[in-house]
Amino acid sequence: MTLRDQLTGATGERAPGYFSYAVFAFSLIAGIALGLALTRVHGPLQRGNAEPWQLRAEDGQHYMIAIALEYAYKGDLPAALNKLIAMRPAQDPLDALAEAACALGSGGYLRSESGIQAIRSAEALYSSQGRAGCAEQLLPQEASISAPALATDIAPNAGFATPLPTKPPLPDSGADAAIRRLAPSPTPQRSFEARSARSFCDAANPALIEARVVDYLGRGIPGQRIRVRWADQEDVFVSGLKVDRGDAYADFQMDEGIDYTIDMPDAAEPLGASLSTGACYTGNRRALKSWRVTFVET
Amino acid sequence: MPRFARSLILGLLSGTLAGLYFGWFPFPPNARSSAISDLAQRYRDEYTVMIAAGYAADRDAPGALERLSLLELESIPAYLQRSAERIISTSARDLDDIRLLVSLARDLGLMSPAMQPFLTLQGADS
Repeated sequence: MTLRDQLTGATGERAPGYFSYAVFAFSLIAGIALGLALTRVHGPLQRGNAEPWQLRAEDGQHYMIAIALEYAYKGDLPAALNKLIAMRPAQDPLDALAEAACALGSGGYLRSESGIQAIRSAEALYSSQGRAGCAEQLLPQEASISAPALATDIAPNAGFATPLPTKPPLPDSGADAAIRRLAPSPTPQRSFEARSARSFCDAANPALIEARVVDYLGRGIPGQRIRVRWADQEDVFVSGLKVDRGDAYADFQMDEGIDYTIDMPDAAEPLGASLSTGACYTGNRRALKSWRVTFVET
Repeated sequence: MPRFARSLILGLLSGTLAGLYFGWFPFPPNARSSAISDLAQRYRDEYTVMIAAGYAADRDAPGALERLSLLELESIPAYLQRSAERIISTSARDLDDIRLLVSLARDLGLMSPAMQPFLTLQGADS
């Protein structure tokens, strides 16, 4: 019997092989898809291998503060910018730094002198490039935590060779009073003027008052109160709370058939005309008219 | 039938392993879910140097320790010493960065023969 006979069998049919390449190829592809899907569901196996842009939000904020701290010492703006860009922020890297400082400052980071200094470093970096954030308003006017209070945070056996800077104790202050309560410091009263009010029709955002509060350069100012009044009721909303819409933005949902007046309490006179919503058409779709109002600092 | 099952199992196994490898290493998901302690060594060094630079600016040792604690280390001083010596021996960072690390380590009460020359350099400058 020849080799060919052995392979095809006496009847001339090809004997089944040890392996089915078609089944293997199909299951290989299915396996690759399964493996990739698993990595997408359970996240990356990046422990010890992550890059800064892969940091979760809070850790990314701390990393940005570290960049600002380094900038405070080296003053190397291009290096700091490159590191911020490497974080791959969704917006301008300096705006991202301002947001990080704002978020950390709002979250208790300013309870320590260390945090205050770090936020000041961040603020120095982004404000040097014409950016602004809410951190400026959260920072106290001056550091006021005594060094002894700080020293209690350090492990007693840390063994510092250099003594920490010391300050005389504050008069009439107990241990608790040594730490200044970090309520936002009073800021000078700002005044604004409603410069424009334009209606628009957007089926995705119907019957909305979109207010923007900006300074004279057009930069958003967060934390400003905007008041809407109708009949005998009123509501106050604040700029900069919707982080994805920028520092300037705030919005209010209108109802049909009601006239609203809008102003900024103690900061801007009411807009001359009242605002109301009604039917409008975008493409062939019916929607409700919305308004964009801009308050500019005067 | 064994031929079918054999091919199927082998294909699925190889494919899943390949998919896991490619999904985790060359093409990781675009996820922002890592902690600072998960950073690659290069970026851990970078973070440490940034903190050391911050310390050089504000002399705020508790702050530096608190920030380094985000690296989830068993011992921050030991980590600093190891990092400084490794960076010195591999020349992984430039001279200024090494001096910053050595300065922070010194103020935390650490010094080793490998670090000593950089402290002398710093002393000559200041």
